[in-house]
Amino acid sequence: MKRFPSPWIGLFLLAAGLLLFPIIFSGPFYRDIGVTFLLAAISASAWNIVGGYAGQVSVGHSMFFGLGAYTPLLFYTLWGWPPIAGIPVGIVLSVVLSVVIGLPTFRLSGHYFSMATIAVAELIRIYFGTWTLVGAAIGLQGPARGRGWWDLTFRSELPYYYMFLGVLALVLYITFAVERRRFGFYLRAIKASERAARSLGVQVRQTKLQAFALSAAFTSTAGSLYAAKTGFIDPDSGFGILVSVQMVIIAALGGAGTLFGPLVGALILIPLQSAVNTKFGGGGSGLTFIVYGGIIVLIARFEPGGLYELWQRLAPRLWKSAHAA
Amino acid sequence: MKRISLLVAGLALAAALCAAQAARAADPVKVGILWPLTGNAAAAGQASKAAIEVALDIINNAHPELGNLPLAATAGLPNLGGAKLEVVFVDHEGNPSTAQQLATRLITQDKVNVLMGAYQSSCSFTATAVAERYGVPFMVGESSALNITSRGFKWTFRATPIATDYARTYMRFFADMKREGKKIDSIAIVNENTDYGTSVGDAIVAEAKKANLPVAIRIPYSASSTDVSAEVLQLKQKQPDVVIFISYTADAILYMKTIKNLDYKAPMIIGDDTGFSDPSFIPAVADIAQGVMNRSAWDIGKPGSTTYKINEMYKAKTGRDLDDTSARNMQSFFALADAINRAGSTDAEKIRDALTKTDLKPDQIMMGYQGVKFDETGQNILASTYLIQLSGKKYDLVWPDTAANGKLQWPMGSGAH
Amino acid sequence: MIFVQVIVGGLLLGAIYALFSSGLTLIWGMMNFINFAHGEFVMLGMYAALLVVTWLTGSPIVFGMAAALALFVLGVAIYFLLIRYVVRGPMLSQILSTFGLALLLRYTAFYVFSANFVSLPQTSLAGTLNLAGVYLPIAQLVAGAVAITLTIALHLLLTRTTVGSRLLAVAEDRSAAMLMGIRPDRMQALAWGLSAGAAGVAGALMATAYPWSPSVGETFGLIAFVTVALGGFGSVLGSLYAGLIIGLIQAASAFWLGAIYKDIVVYGLFVALLWLRPQGLMGKA
Repeated sequence: MKRFPSPWIGLFLLAAGLLLFPIIFSGPFYRDIGVTFLLAAISASAWNIVGGYAGQVSVGHSMFFGLGAYTPLLFYTLWGWPPIAGIPVGIVLSVVLSVVIGLPTFRLSGHYFSMATIAVAELIRIYFGTWTLVGAAIGLQGPARGRGWWDLTFRSELPYYYMFLGVLALVLYITFAVERRRFGFYLRAIKASERAARSLGVQVRQTKLQAFALSAAFTSTAGSLYAAKTGFIDPDSGFGILVSVQMVIIAALGGAGTLFGPLVGALILIPLQSAVNTKFGGGGSGLTFIVYGGIIVLIARFEPGGLYELWQRLAPRLWKSAHAA
Repeated sequence: MKRISLLVAGLALAAALCAAQAARAADPVKVGILWPLTGNAAAAGQASKAAIEVALDIINNAHPELGNLPLAATAGLPNLGGAKLEVVFVDHEGNPSTAQQLATRLITQDKVNVLMGAYQSSCSFTATAVAERYGVPFMVGESSALNITSRGFKWTFRATPIATDYARTYMRFFADMKREGKKIDSIAIVNENTDYGTSVGDAIVAEAKKANLPVAIRIPYSASSTDVSAEVLQLKQKQPDVVIFISYTADAILYMKTIKNLDYKAPMIIGDDTGFSDPSFIPAVADIAQGVMNRSAWDIGKPGSTTYKINEMYKAKTGRDLDDTSARNMQSFFALADAINRAGSTDAEKIRDALTKTDLKPDQIMMGYQGVKFDETGQNILASTYLIQLSGKKYDLVWPDTAANGKLQWPMGSGAH
Repeated sequence: MIFVQVIVGGLLLGAIYALFSSGLTLIWGMMNFINFAHGEFVMLGMYAALLVVTWLTGSPIVFGMAAALALFVLGVAIYFLLIRYVVRGPMLSQILSTFGLALLLRYTAFYVFSANFVSLPQTSLAGTLNLAGVYLPIAQLVAGAVAITLTIALHLLLTRTTVGSRLLAVAEDRSAAMLMGIRPDRMQALAWGLSAGAAGVAGALMATAYPWSPSVGETFGLIAFVTVALGGFGSVLGSLYAGLIIGLIQAASAFWLGAIYKDIVVYGLFVALLWLRPQGLMGKA
């Protein structure tokens, strides 16, 4: 019987596909979808570190995304600084926030933690809506024309695409490294049973905080990239609950706690969103979100491990039947 | 024999060429419109969509009964060989990133010639940036953030009045009222706290400062509040002479009801359009909100007038009267179509040029503006607004005097009603 | 005088918060499960009221009961179709299930009812009482009174009846309850029905006084979480006190700090509560 093909082939195909996509599909609209997909994959992969691997389901990750999105545009608006300068600041702020939030809330289990994260994100969103320094409800804009590459304002989608691809590769690589190290085992142990993990000597609190901080840093980066590409941010697009929910859904759809799960989730959901909007939007029936909601309920009900788990179950059977006799 | 067949052949050839020419010239001109057709602002998006569909009917078919309204009398765009206008509507769902993507799609896939949109300022910011990048004219309808037209963009135009226009209108109105002896020692501003309410609220605060009119209290609130009693109680405490509400529909209705319930007798209440002009406002609170003022650049007018006929067309389609927001979008659309016609071509630069040269007179527009003329930032400098007052089950135009068809009651509820 | 007015207003609204939160706390206490779609139940109750008023009668008793019944059935159905399967599963799928449900319910409502804000036409509860300078809108007064009554009724149902003790038994210890011959599945379905029904009635009561649209579920959901956190997960009586307190805090902060700060105060309180006293006023830790 033939051996199951090496995963390296799949990886190679994926990498080739991602690299060549904007060259093959050179229309700006398709490239824009590609960029949106990459952004969603980055955010979901970032969330995955703490939500998927460690099982701490945060539904308020938009707090980091928003911080990362606001800082570059704030520096530009206040002092004319290139947005790129704001990215590291956003990361630092997000990491600090993650520790500040994590310390008290990681004491809480499961649902409580999720609710706390929702409440904090909402609180920040409402507060930013009242804070004139950051544009209050109107929001902030980025440079209309780039003064140099550091303004991260490009006329074509291509630079954004490859920049985001680079960041995605980084997030995935770090997740991969974490997966194989002791840290990754600790995360999975915590997800399986905190009590058991603690009894085995895992520093549960510290580990959770580290995962949260790592996740926050990458989520913040995703936010900064979003601000660079869209050139605009306001409380809703930065800190809104749909931002958080989307990250969770995409990771869960593909398979939370797996390396490529979020990427697969994004690969399916982002083009699907565009397609549904193209087909039904303009007719204005809100079907996009009904479809969204339906998909999530179905995943939760039938395949909580997401498509990845589904594939794990079906692939050997398909392979066997294809090579039977 | 030969000469006749030659003649026939020649005529046939000429006819074929003419037909080909006509066919080419009659290619529809495409307009891409980005609106929130789902989500919180969907009601406004849908209402405006219906208004544009009526406008399309007026432009594409002959409607000589609509007077001097440009493009009404003819079918299609005369300077483009009778080409029809075609609209591609897209739903950005209130998401600025989606608006950006859809603008890209409209330009590069659907190949629209011009764009319009996008209601929420956040979406207008991103969509106009795309249009600027590709060099496609973008007509902004209804987005109130001031700096949409102050980014140095060449391709963005806005035919509607903006927050500063409204604020100045209110100040001029107060000046008039003071001259007539009414007491206006302080005002209160109650604004919902998204970009709309904040922009207009800020503008009023700025203009009030210039006019030396104290603002007794400014109350920002969330439009999705369940209960506004605390806000009304704050007003009761401060006793301003005029309260200006900048609200969406549900909150406008809620405020009127709460004011009645808590027995707050304000000398004058002015609603800043939007919620107060929504078709569901009057049926919900007519009994308790008599005398409330509102601003509108749209007035249905007397039966037989052009505006009345337009309203009838809209009513036939949707069952409701045309509201101010949708009317303003409709007017922006007419201005856009008129510019395309004057350009005589679908070339972007020519359309842009025609837009900058726009000079529509009051009898050519359906709104109460003094005209449509864009300054170098793309803003219509002749946009203005009326003030109207709720009397019975409808609003009467009460200010300025030159256009008024009803008598202004001040304080509210002091008249014969 | 204004002071009293603020307090009264806050308490009346708080009573309604208490009613719809009581359902959430019941589920929580019983199954250690959070229903992120709870706010949508309230929203659907409002629409149920609207449908009854439009097609049948404006009698508040009728539309109140109709909302209760419709949502009760929905709650039971949701339990059997969805919740039963996810409750033993991983945390992620539990959270996802009701989140997805919330989206589904909310956007189906958008599809069916459109995004327009609606309000009930004037019912028999119009008018305002004036009691020594304090204004009491009749609709809100009745809504508040009914809400308190129903919440107490729910509490009594749980603590004084056989059915109630069965529900609590399942909450306390599922396996032990099974050994006693109680069917946990049925009890949990009943709990979902009661939870949704209570939310539905609360919605119908709110509909008499406030306008709404399909998107109101989100805010109500969050308020329910805060109320439950304050009152203690699992305690209906706790959510009664907590609802009243939250209503009061909201009204007071709106009046003294400013309307936009009232939500910040409430959420801030929530986070502080989760941190300092997760079991709330009267809950089991």
